[in-house]
Parts: sequence; C-alpha cells; structure tokens
Amino acid sequence: MSQTTYGWLVLAFPLAGVLLLCLGHRSLPGRTAGWIGSAAIFLAFLAALGALLTMQSHGADHRQQVSSLWEYAVTSGIDARMSILVDPLSVFMILVVTGVSTLIHVYSVSYLDKDRGFVRYFAYLNFFVLSMLLLVLAGNFLLLIVGWAFVGAASYLLISFWYRRKTATKAGIKAFVINVVGDVGLVLGTFFILGHTHTLEFLGSFHAAEAGAFSHASGDLVAGCILLLVGAFAKSAQIPLHTWLPDAMEGPTPVSALIHAATMVTAGVYLIARMHPLFERAPAAQDVGAVVGAATLLIAGTIGLVQTDIKRVIAYSTMSQIGYMVMGVSIGAYAAGLFHLMTHAFFKALLFMAAGSIIGAMAGEQSLKKMKGFRKAMPFTYGCFLIGGLALSGIPPFSGFFSKDEILLIAGERGGWRWILYGVGYLGAFLTALYTFRMIFIAFHGKPCAEAQELQAGHLHHAEHPFNPADGEIEDTDVGFPGPSHAIAERALPMRFAMSLLAIGAVGAGLIQIPKVDYVVDDFLKPSFATSALYEAHTRSGILIAGLIGGTLIGLAGIAIAWRIWGSGAQTATAFQERLRPLYTLFAAKWYFDEAIDLLVVRPAAAFGRFAKDTFERTVIDDTLVGGPSGLVRAGSALVRSIQSGLLRYYAAMIVLGVAAVGLYFLLQA
Amino acid sequence: MIPLAHIPTPHVDFAGLSPLIAFLGGAVLVLMAGLLGPRKVREHGVPLLTLVVLGVAAWLVIDQWHANKALVDGAIQLDSLSLVLDLVLIAAGVATVLLAWRSQAGREAGHGELQALLLSSIGGMSLLASAQNTVVLFVGLELLSIPLYVLCAAEMRRERSLESGLKYLIVGSVGSATLLYGLALIYGATGATSFSGIASAITAKSLSGDTLLLGGIALTAAGFCFKASVAPFHQWTPDVYEGAPTPITAFMAVATKVAALGAFLRFFDTALIGSHGEWAPAIAVLAAVTIVVGNVGALGQSSLKRMLAYSSVAQAGYMLAGVVVGTALGVKATTLYLIVYLLMNLAAFAVIVARERETDLGDSIQSVAGLGRQRPWLAWPLTLSMLGLAGIPATAGFVGKLYLIDAAVSGKYTWLGVVIVIGSMISLAYYLPVVAAMWMRDAPEGALEPAVAASPAALPVIAGGSPELDDLVDAPAAPARGAHLEVAAVALIAGSATLFFGIVPQPLFDLVQHVGRSFGL
Repeated sequence: MSQTTYGWLVLAFPLAGVLLLCLGHRSLPGRTAGWIGSAAIFLAFLAALGALLTMQSHGADHRQQVSSLWEYAVTSGIDARMSILVDPLSVFMILVVTGVSTLIHVYSVSYLDKDRGFVRYFAYLNFFVLSMLLLVLAGNFLLLIVGWAFVGAASYLLISFWYRRKTATKAGIKAFVINVVGDVGLVLGTFFILGHTHTLEFLGSFHAAEAGAFSHASGDLVAGCILLLVGAFAKSAQIPLHTWLPDAMEGPTPVSALIHAATMVTAGVYLIARMHPLFERAPAAQDVGAVVGAATLLIAGTIGLVQTDIKRVIAYSTMSQIGYMVMGVSIGAYAAGLFHLMTHAFFKALLFMAAGSIIGAMAGEQSLKKMKGFRKAMPFTYGCFLIGGLALSGIPPFSGFFSKDEILLIAGERGGWRWILYGVGYLGAFLTALYTFRMIFIAFHGKPCAEAQELQAGHLHHAEHPFNPADGEIEDTDVGFPGPSHAIAERALPMRFAMSLLAIGAVGAGLIQIPKVDYVVDDFLKPSFATSALYEAHTRSGILIAGLIGGTLIGLAGIAIAWRIWGSGAQTATAFQERLRPLYTLFAAKWYFDEAIDLLVVRPAAAFGRFAKDTFERTVIDDTLVGGPSGLVRAGSALVRSIQSGLLRYYAAMIVLGVAAVGLYFLLQA
Repeated sequence: MIPLAHIPTPHVDFAGLSPLIAFLGGAVLVLMAGLLGPRKVREHGVPLLTLVVLGVAAWLVIDQWHANKALVDGAIQLDSLSLVLDLVLIAAGVATVLLAWRSQAGREAGHGELQALLLSSIGGMSLLASAQNTVVLFVGLELLSIPLYVLCAAEMRRERSLESGLKYLIVGSVGSATLLYGLALIYGATGATSFSGIASAITAKSLSGDTLLLGGIALTAAGFCFKASVAPFHQWTPDVYEGAPTPITAFMAVATKVAALGAFLRFFDTALIGSHGEWAPAIAVLAAVTIVVGNVGALGQSSLKRMLAYSSVAQAGYMLAGVVVGTALGVKATTLYLIVYLLMNLAAFAVIVARERETDLGDSIQSVAGLGRQRPWLAWPLTLSMLGLAGIPATAGFVGKLYLIDAAVSGKYTWLGVVIVIGSMISLAYYLPVVAAMWMRDAPEGALEPAVAASPAALPVIAGGSPELDDLVDAPAAPARGAHLEVAAVALIAGSATLFFGIVPQPLFDLVQHVGRSFGL
C-alpha cells in the first residue's frame, strides 16, 4: 500500500469509530464503547506507522505525496478536492496525535467508568481525533478549514461534556467563540492567499509563491499570514486569544490532557510550520508570531506561579510551552518547535493524567490549597508527576531539556533582536521550574492531608455530596454531571498502563535528537522543509554549550527556590506573597486579560448589542427592514393570489397584456 | 417500371434520429399493447413496455453521446445539449411511468392511452429541444402540448382534472398562436426558417433594430415564456398543476420546463444571438418578475401541488438567467440547473403521490404532517427536495443556483444574480414550513385510516369512457392504498441524488461540459 492509502486509513478508523459509537450507543454494554473507541484510534496509530514505514522507503524527493479521493468542485477559479498531503510533517503529526490519543482513550476507560455519558464521551473523543487528523492530513486549505472548525466543535462538546455544570457550559461557549474568531482569521487569510495563487492546494500554493505569485514584501501576503496567525493564536491559546484555555479545564481531565495539552492546541504550531513557504516570504508576520509566542510564554509562566487550581496551573504551563513552540516555528526553528511539540505532548499529557489521579483521590477537589503530602499514599502518581515535572523544567536527561534548549539555541544563532527572545526563553524556563515544583511540593510533600491519610489507610476518599470544584455547588451523579466513581492510577490498570508509556516517552523521547550526537527529527522532517531558507543549519558550539549548561542550571535553580519557598514550610510562601503583594495580585488576576477583554470587547459589544436590540432592531430592523419587505412580500402574495381568480378569461387578458407589454418594449427598441 | 433512382431524396441519418423514432414508434407500440386482453396485462405489461421503450431510447442516446451533427437537412441538431436534455426527459419519463403505474389516472384513461400519450409528448419535447428550424420547432411544440392537454384530463371522473385539461388547452392555444405569429414575423423579416439562416440574415442585413424582427422576437419570447410558465404568462400553471393527476403534474413540472428552456436556449442563443443586446434586457426583466411573482405567490399556499407550481414558476425565472446572458457558461448553468431541478421536483412529487394514496388529505400540507416519525423514508426525500429547491448547501440545488448566479454575474447581469438570491430568501418561507410540518408536527388524527372509498360507480360520468372504466366499475375492491414501492423508490433515488450531487457535483459539471459547443458562443 502506498503512503497515501495509509493516510486515508488513518482517517477511516476514527470515522468508523464515531459512526459505530453514535449508531450503537444504546446497545453497548459496560466499558465496550471505551474499548471500541480505543481500538479505533489504535488502528489509526498502526496505519500511521504504516505510512511512516512506506514513506521512509522512498527517496527524500518522493516523500511528499498528495492523494485526492474525489473532486468536490473543480471548475474555473476554484479547485476544491478531497485531498490529503502525506509528507514527513503530517506523518509526524499523525503519529503524535494517534499515539497520545490511544493512551488517553485507554486512560479514560477507567477514569470515566460509571459516568452516565460514557458512550457519548467516547463518540466525542473519537470525533475529536478524526477532526484533528483531518486538520493535519489536509492537502488543501478547504479541508484544513473543515478540520480546523471540526476540532473547535469537538473541543466545545468535550469541555461542556458535563452539560449540567453551569461553569462547564460557560467555558465551552467561551472556547467556541474564541475559536470561531480564529476560524474567521483562517478563512480570511486563505482568501488573501487564494486571490494570488489561484489554487487551494497547499503544494500548488507554495509553488506559486515560490514562482513569484506575491510581489516582494507583498502587503496581501503579510495580511494573509497575519490572519493565519490569528487562527493559530486562537487554537493555540496565545495572547490575546488565550483566555479560553484555563476555563477549558472544566472538561474531564483526560480531555484536558488530550485536547488542551497534547493535540488541539498545537494546531497553531503545525499551521505555521506547514505554511512556512508563505511565512518566510512575509518576515513581518514571522516577527509577530515570534513576539507573541515569547510574550505568551512569559506571561503564562507568571500566572502559573500563583494559580491554586492544579489543572489551571498545568493549563497555563501549556500556554507557556506552546509559546516556545510558536516562537520557534516563527523564527525558523521548525524541527526544534515540532520536536518540542512531541516531547511536550508526552510530558504534559502525563502531568494531566497524574493530576487526574490526585483529583480522583481528592474526590473531585482540584484546589492545591487542600492537597498535601500525597507522596506516600500515591507513589506511582508521584513518580509520574515527578518525571513529567522534570521534563517540563528542562532537567537533563529528560525530554524537555533537549527540545526547549534547541529552540532557544536557534533564536540565539539567528542573533540580532532575537537575543531578546533568547533571554525571555530562559527567564520562562526559570518560571517553569518554579511553578512546576511549586505544584509538586505542595501536593506531594509535607504532612499528609486527611484524604491522603485515608488513602494510606487503604480507603479512597469519597465526598459526602458530589460537588463542582469550581464553585462548590452540590451536584448529583446523573447524566450531565460526573459519575459516582473516582479513579486513581494506583488502583486502575488502564490508567497505569497509559501513564507508564507516557512516562517512558517523557524520559526518553529527547534522546532522539541530541545536539552533536544525532539529528533524527531534523533529518526526518527535512523533505517537508526542502525549500526553506531557514531550516536548521547545524550548530555553532559556543552558544550550544552555554545554552545546555545554562539551561540546566536555571532549571535546578528554579527547583531549589521552589523548595525554599513551598517545600520547607508554609510560612515562607505566605511571607513571599506578602512581600511581593503587587506582583502577586497582578499574576493572580491573570494580568487582567479577562477584564481587559471584557472592557475592550465584551462590554462595548454588549452595549452595542443592547442598543441594537432596543433601538436599532425595533425601529430599523423590525419596522423598516423586516416589516417593510415582509409586508411588501405579503402584499405581493395577496396581489398574485387575487389575480389568480381561476377564471380563464382573466388569464387570457393577462396574456394579451403581457404580450402587449413585451411587444411595446421591443417596438420601442426599433 | 417506375424510375425511382434519379429522384433526389435528402439524406436521412436514421441513427441520429433513432431516439425520436424510439419515442414515437414506442408510442404506437404501447397504444397497441393497451388493447391486449386481460386487465393484468394492461395494468402491468403496458407500463413495463413503456419502460423498455424509454430504456431503448436511453441506450440510443448514450450510444451517440459524443455526436455533434445536423440531421434532416439541418432541421434538427444532434449535439451535447439535445443529448443531455434527451436523457433528462427520459429520466422524467421513467419516473412518471413509475408514479402513474398504479394511479387512478391510468385506470380511468386506460394504461395504453396514458403511456402512449406520455411517450409522444416526450417525443415532442425531444424534437423541440433539438429543433434547428422554426417549422420543426413549432411541430415539436404542438407534439408536446396536445398529449399534455389530454393527460391533464386523464382522471375523467374528477371535475378538477377536466377543468385543468380544458384550461390548459385554451390558454395553451393562445400561447401557441402567439409563438406561431412571432415565428411568422421573424420569417418575414429574415426570409429564413432555419436558425442559422436567421442568424446570418440578422448579421448580414444588420437587422438587429428592425421593427418586424423585434415584433417577431417579442411574440416568440411570449410564446416560449408561456410554455416555461414565466410571469406574466404563468397563470395557468397553479390551476393546471393542482387539477391534473399528480404523476402528470410531476411530468409537466419537470419535462415541459426542460423542453421549453432547451428550445429557449437554442433559439435565442443561436438564431437570435445577433440581436442579443435587444432581447436580453427584456428577458432579464421577465426573469426578475417571474422570480418575484413565483416566490410571493407560493407563500401561504396550503396545497403542496399549488405551492410547487408557483415554485416551478420561480425556478423558471432562475433558469432564464442562463438564457439572458447569452454565454457558453449561461447555457451550461441552465442545463445543469434543469438536471438538478428534475431531481428535486421528482422527489417532492413522488412523496405527494405516496401521501395521496395513503391519506385522505390529498396534496394538502396536512398530508405530510408528522411524516418524519411515521415514514422517515418518505420524509427524507421531501426534506432534501425542499432544502434543495431553496438552495441550501450540500444539496444539488445549491450547486445549481451557484452556477446560475456565477453565469449571471460573469455575464454582466449582477443585479439578476441578486434577484435570484432575494428570491431564494423569500422561498425559504414556503419550503421550510413543509420541512417543519414533517418533523415538528404530529400527524393529524386518523390520517392513515383508510376511509370508506366512494364506489367508483357512484361517480358521475362527466366525459368520455374507456374499457378500463368498465373494469373499474366492475372492480370489487377499492383502489389499493398504501405507499407503493415504485413510488417510494422514485422519491428515494431522486432525494439521494439531490444529496449526492450536492456533495459531489463534479459529475454534473462533467455532464454539461460540452453543452452549447455547437452554438458558437
């Protein structure tokens, strides 16, 4: 089979999974649905491996292959096809997506056990994976937009999965609205590009751009690329379109692990990398991407320092890490950015899964203030969290060390003002270590809390009434709310299995690309970036060594300071908080982004909406625009019907009149 | 011995004429078969034979798919347009035969007569759509019209059916007369009856502003507009559509429009293309008026057939846009729309036929209330048909409308494109209530209970009679109730084709690719 056939199979399995789960949702007993969903994604993973192997058997020049299933509309001015592009970049993405998704499906089988929405959950999850695969396999802008929008819809469905939780439905709506802003950007950007290249196909567009479809520093190209960036920022939660991601933590924890850490939020990174022939001709847009990425990584890191909800801390960490990736692919560090995407998918999914396990032990409670000393009660979870945390903090030899440093290394190599990015990146790395180990020291060290003691005594804590961790509202366990059971990794084999594999990835995945030793990711992705002027040139040793040593030291310093503040007793933390009160307030208020967006966008829009509803709508729309034409139409309808008397003589008269009118017109022409 | 050899006979290309011969010869054959003995043979053998005839004709059409030649001394043009339209007509014919298979009309008028008239009407339509000469054009027009007058009155015991036939006959004669008069004036102005002769006369003698010619064009346009039910010549449409037996209405709605617009395209875009500047604005205004009148007229109609009649008026207006622009793209767009129009209407009418047989509510919108729950296999085709007619994306109607608007805009008639969009907007107000009735309302009480059928013998004999009528009077059982398989099949196939071509329109684009190639546009 050719690599494109495997590509289609990668799409076919999740599609079959969705259909099977949707059609059979009444008749699937117990955990069957979960295993069906997992199997569908696992088969897609195998197909992705097939694609990888067939692709590697071709020469480097033949690794980009397009396959078109059918032509939707190919006529003058438009070429809409159902086509996929299977090349090293998309194969890399489908491997990451299907691999991590399989494990998260398996984890979910335990985690959502006994939830009344079990089948619906797996149908949504399979639909999400299908959409994400469509997004990364799309061979043209049209299909990309379809996948892009589907992913947004799937994310909405899964965030609002517990649909009777008000906080969850609100978060879903927020995520959807901001994602639609991004969709609009993507669509408009596509039009800017289509207008010059006259084709929707990626490869065709890139060839056209290389052949000079855009003039030098073309305004249209820059505008198009910046609009694409708007799409990327919304999906990847970059400033200022990032506020939905922390709220998205209302979804079930495996969803946070899959969608809001490992896959969907990396779509923006993929987009920038995929569009590199366009971005490289629009350096201004590249700079916008790099600056926004850097700003996000720093700001999100500071907010992560003070959040008290464990999932939100990880969410801000995700934003920050994606900031690194966006910055990387925007300065031409494509392989490094995508390498970090992969390692991040492993250790961030792992962190979320471990967090889910603690939340299970706390019976749904997510606040770091209440967790304490789980180290002895949950040794496995602790180990996983520690591995994830070390990888995230960039401590060698864990995977994050290699990938993060490579991005910053290239920033330094490109020099000039990008040294600022370099500095910001290392500052961010320090913050990363700090907030990561803050979580670890608070949740796992110190004197065990009541729940931890209960667990050590062999009994899993159950809350008296199930409640919403966000606002404390009392709930039941029927459909629309979380189910009655809580799962922890120590007692659920599927969860342990998934976390172990991810932990292996988080430890070892960095070893495939060690500077001066091997360049697996670089070499693998090279055919996709064959025409790139910026693709990694291998490295000057000076900053390489400085970076590796400096990065390690910064990470260790962050851990040490975290220990000093949060590990050695509660007083230090409070003291720090008091001394740095203004900064603490700024960070805790999340840099007032929600308030700023509220003030700048939501309130004016709402005020305008009220004006439109109360005044404009009533007089202009209802009375004039709707009332006018619809009255006109109604009157016309009455007129037409009144002429329709049923009497033949009137019909004949009408024909004569009509002939006379038409005849008169023609005679006037003569 | 009579010396025949030296008499110059025109070369007749029988291969090229074969579809037409199949239609007309088939009509004779079917009429004869209708005289055969037992009732069973008449009831099932005759429609089956008609289907065979149509199948043969379809084969003959496909066999010469790439032909592009003049037949009978240039009187008929066999080209991509006529072949595609022939195929569309055959599809309409097949559907009509299936819908009429067990209909009241067949029983009353006699299956042989009904199907023979149907075939000769199709023959006339095929002739009209391929005519390359005004005389042939008129012959084709009458050959299509006269059988239709009779078919409308096929349910001889129903007053509305007779009324419909009579109305159509009288008003139709006015239309035919107008057309004939117009053709005569054009002949007077140009001295030619062949389209190419007219065209070359217009350019050679620079007649484009000539009074006689323009008068002729005006009357011809009016005559065509009548056949295509373009406002203000549309008034017969709702009355005739409502009164005629529903299978016949379905046939009229799709096939007549195909033939009329085919002739419209051919005559105006070849013979009269030289005075395009003069006639195009007038036809554009007629199209706009038609779109408005059809769409506002359809609002608030409680009879589905009447609603679809007005809708067909509006759709004729859309399709005229392709004629108005006088470009190759316009010809393609109109032809493509005719195909999707066929699919959407057949789906709708098939469901109406099915519901007429299942309920006592006739073609009232009530008859489909609650259909979604009761008969999803009928509700889906009707839903798709309504959405398609309204031009909702992912249905073939969207693709067709998009193509028409594209043709209008690139032919410098952007305002007409805007009118099409506004018309579609208004049309939602009558298409969507049907969808809503099907899925959101409950079935009316007892709609499915078979009512006590009035004994056929008790019906007054208003006009005519046939051997079948006696059978009917003798027949002990009431007419069979329940949705028939063939009717549901028509609905399903047409409905799913509407969906399929909305998702994969490329085959349609390919089909109409060469249409208008022989026009020299």
